Parts: sequence; structure tokens; C-alpha cells
Amino acid sequence: MNVQGEGTDRRLAADEARVRVPRRPAAWRTKVRWTRHTVQGAVIALVGWQAVRKVTSGGDSAEAWCPLGGFETLWTLVTTGRTVPHVHTSSLVLSVAVLVLALAGRGFFCGWLCPLGTIQEMVHKAGRAVTDRVPGLRQLRRRLERDASTERWHRIDRLLRWGRWLVLAWAIIGAAATGTMVFREADPWIALLSVAEFEFSLAFAVLIATLVLALFIERPFCRYACPLGAVLSLAGKLSPIAVQRDDSACLDCDLCNKACLMAIPVNTRTRVTDASCTGCLECVGACPSQEGLAVTLAMPTFPPRRSKATVEPDPEPVTELEVAR
Amino acid sequence: MRLTHRTSHRDATTSLQDLTIPRGRHPVPTQTSLRTRRVPVVMYVLALLMIPSLVVVGFMSAGFWATTGTSITAQADTPSKEGGTGTGTGPAAPADPADVKGSMTVQQVVDAFPTITAAEVLTQFSAPLDTPTSTQLKDLVESSDGMDIPAVRVWLAKQTAG
Repeated sequence: MNVQGEGTDRRLAADEARVRVPRRPAAWRTKVRWTRHTVQGAVIALVGWQAVRKVTSGGDSAEAWCPLGGFETLWTLVTTGRTVPHVHTSSLVLSVAVLVLALAGRGFFCGWLCPLGTIQEMVHKAGRAVTDRVPGLRQLRRRLERDASTERWHRIDRLLRWGRWLVLAWAIIGAAATGTMVFREADPWIALLSVAEFEFSLAFAVLIATLVLALFIERPFCRYACPLGAVLSLAGKLSPIAVQRDDSACLDCDLCNKACLMAIPVNTRTRVTDASCTGCLECVGACPSQEGLAVTLAMPTFPPRRSKATVEPDPEPVTELEVAR
Repeated sequence: MRLTHRTSHRDATTSLQDLTIPRGRHPVPTQTSLRTRRVPVVMYVLALLMIPSLVVVGFMSAGFWATTGTSITAQADTPSKEGGTGTGTGPAAPADPADVKGSMTVQQVVDAFPTITAAEVLTQFSAPLDTPTSTQLKDLVESSDGMDIPAVRVWLAKQTAG
């Protein structure tokens, strides 16, 4: 027996020792996804009903259902006791509701409830479905995706994400300084809620531009321009709930990164506390490892978490010599 | 034969429901310093859906909900014309001309400012005097010739001051 060769074989075998982790059932992702889409569909139906009711029977104005209005009017409310025009009590209540939701569940509102986000998702999926069937468009999309994975695009993406904070500053400071909702003129949410009126405005143009961009980019308005998302991401920093990655059960397959609607590099995080996380659970659903990603609640009283992955050493490693026999 | 034996041993110890990861790629097992617990997704979704619903229902039951109308201070000071207690979807009567908004009807303006008549309001907008008093001011603005809500507020302020 060649002793040196046997030693090499043992080292090879040790490297090949495996860690056993349970596989996530394939149906899990489908269930979560359909639950989310059902909730989103219900919200869209409610908004559609409001939009139609407004036109047919003079229902509530679009602003009445805008949670951002409550934040825009905050300064005026504190200093004068009045709200700025177009902000109703319902806006204030909705602002409180989404703020409490963000404190508890981070970007859950964006991922599960926001109708504008839902429509962007729908448009993006429709765009993909079309481009998948047309060879020329498919090649164009692949080329765009290839370019999008370059470092230069990542730098542009990171830069553009500051846009949310700029829009938020414009909306809040503008409303405080002028006593009017300055962002209202360009707010696609208002255009969406008033869509049944078919009035062309700057807000409507922004909505159209958003939907066109959504054909190529997942949730462009949410990523780069949504002031409400910016407010919620600030509040969400205090949330105890987040998706957590167990490094010991991670396969480094990148499926979570590809599934993320907001292009967060999930497989580089221990806890996904990114400001842009929408809590959609697409990453969790995409993870083939049951223990790889999970929704977790953090509390100081909890004991430190231990991985559930188990080591399974190979009982008697197969050597190259044995394989040859 | 030996190889066959190894394969069958693996089959016996590794369930088909399991995945295997090369051991060298990660430190195993991991004990993080994070004090966290897994949350069942069903609980995550239901709890977070309930939170905004409870907040909205709570405010509604406290009478703090209106999808039209005026500022909250005016609403708190003056009972609503439609609900009597500030509840419902109707706007409250303003105590100040500055609180008058386009969503208010002519009748609500008349009710809020007893010295003003419906005819006077309609005249300001150059609207026919037989226009229903349930018409909203914003609709009168659209059909008027240059009159807008800020101008109405100024006019009301002058009328009530006089």
C-alpha cells in the first residue's frame, strides 16, 4: 500500500464530508407566493372599487387613502393644528397604521399591501412573459441583465437609491414650507387612484414612466423614488422581525439574490435589515434549504441561536483507489 | 462491491428530503450571537395583516376617521353635521373660513356660517340660484369663471367679520 497516496485520499475524503440540511418542500414557495398575491389582489380590488366609485357616485377622493399625506402634513399639524389641503383624517390614521406596521414588520406594507408596488410587479412579470416568447426581445433582455450584473450598474443602482430620500425631503419640506402637498402633483399613487378619471397630469406621466420602467426593472418606483418607502424603512430599522440567514445551511446557490424584488444581496447578509427589504419572502421561498433562510423575531431575552444543520461525516470515505476497483 | 456498499450506506443515512453541503465551505454548526427565534410564516402574515386593520378600526371606533373634510382641530371643536359626533364620512363644519375646503357642500357652508345664505354662495360662483345645495364647492369652482376656494375663504372671512 502506498502510504503517501493513502494520506492524500483521506484528505480528499475529509473535504468531501457533508453537512446534512433538510430540504424545503417545493410547495412551500407556491403557498407563500399565492398567499401574498391573494392579499395584493384584495387590496387592488379595494382600490379599484374606490377609483370607480369616485367617478360613478362621487366617492372619496384619492388623497383620503394616501398614507403619505399624514407624514406630509405633520409639520403643519404640529405648528398650526391644521392639516394641509387634501389631507383628511383618514390619511392621518393610515399613516399611523403603516408606521406601526413598519415598526413591527419592516417593509411588509410595501411587499404585501402597496397597490402601486403590486402593479409594478404585475407589469414586470407580464414583460418577462412577453420577452420570453419573442426571441429578439429575449436576447435584448438577457443582454440588459448581463449588463445589470456589472459593477458599474451596481454603482448607478446604489446612487439612484438615494432618490427616495430626496423625494421624501422634497415632499416633507415642501409641504412644511408652502402649506400644500407639493409631491401631489407628481405622485403616481394619486394618479393610480384617479385613473378612472382619465386626466392627464404630471402624476399620470410619472405613473406611465414607472410602468414602462417596470417592464425592465423590478419595482423601479419603490427602489428609486418612493417617499413612503423611505419613511417606512426608517421605522423598520426598529423592527424586531427580519429574514435571517443561517450560514451553516446556506448552499451559496444565489437563488435568494435572484428572487429578491429589490435586488438585495441576501446571501451576504446574516440578517436582512436592508432599508429596501419589502418582507415579501421571495428569498425565503427560493431557498432550497429549509434552514437557510427564515423569518425570525429578535428579542434580548432569547438565547443565542444555534444552527440546526447537522454534521454527517462520511463513515468510511471512498478513495480513488477503491473507485478504480 | 465496496463502492456499492458505500452508496447504499449513504442512502440509508441521508433522507431524500435532505440536501448536503460540502463541509469545508462553512463553519458547522453555527452559533450566532443573535438572540432570535423562528416565526412561522402563517403567524407572520396574519399578525402583520391584523396590525393596520386594528389601528384603523380602533381610530374609527374612537370617531377619528373621515375621508373628506376639514382639519382635525376644527373637527374636534365642532360636531359633524352628518354624524353628530364627528364619526362617519361627512366633513365637519368649520369654525374658521380658512378651514373651508372644496369637498364641502353649499349647505355645509351655510350651516357653518349662519349669516351666509345659499344664494350668496351660489352668486359668488356665478352659479344658477336653483343649483342644489348638496353641490360641492369644487364642482362650483369648475363651472365658475375664475372663482376658487381661497377666494371663497377670503370672501367668507370678510362676511363673517362684518
